[in-house]
Amino acid sequence: MAGVTLSKVVKRFGSYEIIHGASLEVADGEFVVFVGPSGCGKSTLLRMIAGLESVTEGDVSIGGRVVNDVEPAERGVAMVFQSYALYPHMTVEQNLSFGLRMTGHDKADIARRVERTAGILRIAELLKRKPRQLSGGQRQRVAIGRAIMREPQLFLFDEPLSNLDAELRVQMRVELARLHKELGVTMIYVTHDQTEAMTLADRIVVLRDGTIEQVGRPLDLYNDPDNQFVAGFVGSPKMNFIPALVVEGDGRGVTVELAGQERTTRLTQPLAGPAPEPGSRVVVGVRPEHFGDAGKGDADLLVNVDIVEHLGGTSFIYASTAGDYGLVIQRDADGVADAAEITVSIRKSYLFDENGKRLR
Amino acid sequence: MRQRTQTAYAFLTPYLLIFLAFWIWPIINSFWLSFLNTRSANWTFNPRMTWGRLLVDPAFANALQNTLVILVIQVPIMIALATVLATLLNSPALKVRGLFRFAFFAPVVVGEVAYAAMFRLLFNEFGIINKMLAGIGLTTIPWLSDPNAAMAVIIIALTWRWAGYNAIIILAGLQSIPEDVYEAATLDGVSKVRQFFFMTLPLLKPVILLCVVLSVIGTMQLFSEPFLITNRGGPGQATETLGLFLYRQGFNAFNFGYASAVAYTIAALAIAISLLNLWLGRERE
Repeated sequence: MAGVTLSKVVKRFGSYEIIHGASLEVADGEFVVFVGPSGCGKSTLLRMIAGLESVTEGDVSIGGRVVNDVEPAERGVAMVFQSYALYPHMTVEQNLSFGLRMTGHDKADIARRVERTAGILRIAELLKRKPRQLSGGQRQRVAIGRAIMREPQLFLFDEPLSNLDAELRVQMRVELARLHKELGVTMIYVTHDQTEAMTLADRIVVLRDGTIEQVGRPLDLYNDPDNQFVAGFVGSPKMNFIPALVVEGDGRGVTVELAGQERTTRLTQPLAGPAPEPGSRVVVGVRPEHFGDAGKGDADLLVNVDIVEHLGGTSFIYASTAGDYGLVIQRDADGVADAAEITVSIRKSYLFDENGKRLR
Repeated sequence: MRQRTQTAYAFLTPYLLIFLAFWIWPIINSFWLSFLNTRSANWTFNPRMTWGRLLVDPAFANALQNTLVILVIQVPIMIALATVLATLLNSPALKVRGLFRFAFFAPVVVGEVAYAAMFRLLFNEFGIINKMLAGIGLTTIPWLSDPNAAMAVIIIALTWRWAGYNAIIILAGLQSIPEDVYEAATLDGVSKVRQFFFMTLPLLKPVILLCVVLSVIGTMQLFSEPFLITNRGGPGQATETLGLFLYRQGFNAFNFGYASAVAYTIAALAIAISLLNLWLGRERE
């Protein structure tokens, strides 16, 4: 088993820079999820760890050893691909054992590993089938099985559940969590799905445009985002962003006026750091569940109800304001009245400056 | 709707009539002809003079043997070469890929007569090939007057003309194999050479089989090269193929009955060998 260290890793394709000096420590046995919108460089970063892409600058270390120039097969990693990448002309058993057979492993050892892997993933009855005779979920299991066969020190997953339907995705998510617990091996997992990230990760790495925006435990990212991007990316439905202007501020806090409200609506937040100048633009972030009953929070908002989604236990109100932004408001199912206009109160909010940086 | 169907058929009719007159009817008629003795003034039913003669005619046996020799030697060499070419063309390290692809495919679009004339010049007793052999101190070869050498010229010419064509088909097959399968194998520690033999070749099997079948059909009908390059199957009948033999019987000797029997034999052999290939290359469960 091994941890992974990225130090100032840069990737360029020609003159185009994809990764701009990423640094990260992944502890031995940790489950780390790289998350970010498509094109943010998360898969490239993963492929650099695997050795499928070269490192332009900086160092990638696995188990304390710099592996920049080490062949992929010598890095002790196994990877599961989004498309499964099974060998189409081989049976499941041959798929599992191919790598070991080709590298001259002992036959008895291969047979033992196949049996163990098939047991872990419950695919024993599929061993004689070919990939095209398997369902998506079964193929994914075989792909994971092929990774387990190598008994790697590090598992890499590149959006492994993207091609599965919603129900199967939830099921496989649970299985992956179980697998991590069972094997206790370091895992790095790439996804654009923040739910997968939140549910699987010990720590989440949020990437944007080739830069690591924030690293932290799922709930830390959720409760204490460093910037507007992370705040918006983590959590579903997304955090609401309300444009605002600073009215006054001192060493203790700041008062802002929310845009797009018919009545003047002000909100005051304590700040540890310096307050922005009066007149500067800021953004107030409010999570859907942080709206409460009128009069019971920091500021009251009058909004028009467009659509209400009843999910049973909770309801989501899609509302519009006099400004050009909409809001998603989460309420208990029995707290939603059939009204065209409602007043909600902001119970908890986050402040971001013009560049999206969190004001604390 | 009916009106529209009629219009469609009206437009198709000229083609269908020609198709009927120059394709379907000759095929049917030649089958009937293959049972007739066409050497007498009145054509009479006498399969012994046609189908029966196939079994005892040494010239037919020679043509069949020549064709099979070309088939057995040329097709495997060409397909192997085409596979290697396709792999090279597919290599990410290759620059100006489009140019190479065009260069390998170009022989197919060169006119047959022009290409045959070039090969006659190249392999002429005083041609550049012999000049080169002499230049590096080897003995020259009477390419077009020695039976074995003439056969070699035919095989070389065919390979030059068709290897690129097959390579392009195989290249299409190669490009349909997803890249991540190779990446998975690389991570599995499988060497490039083993990836080629244990992954690329098995995955290319259907495409290679297609190329083999197309080449078998082409070789069974082989006509232009021995007609043009080795001057009507020369020296003697050393490079006479079934196609050439058919031509000689039909259009030199005007023995249409016998020529028809030969034509049907060629078709039957092409089908039989192709089916054998498909059967040998079938997917075994």
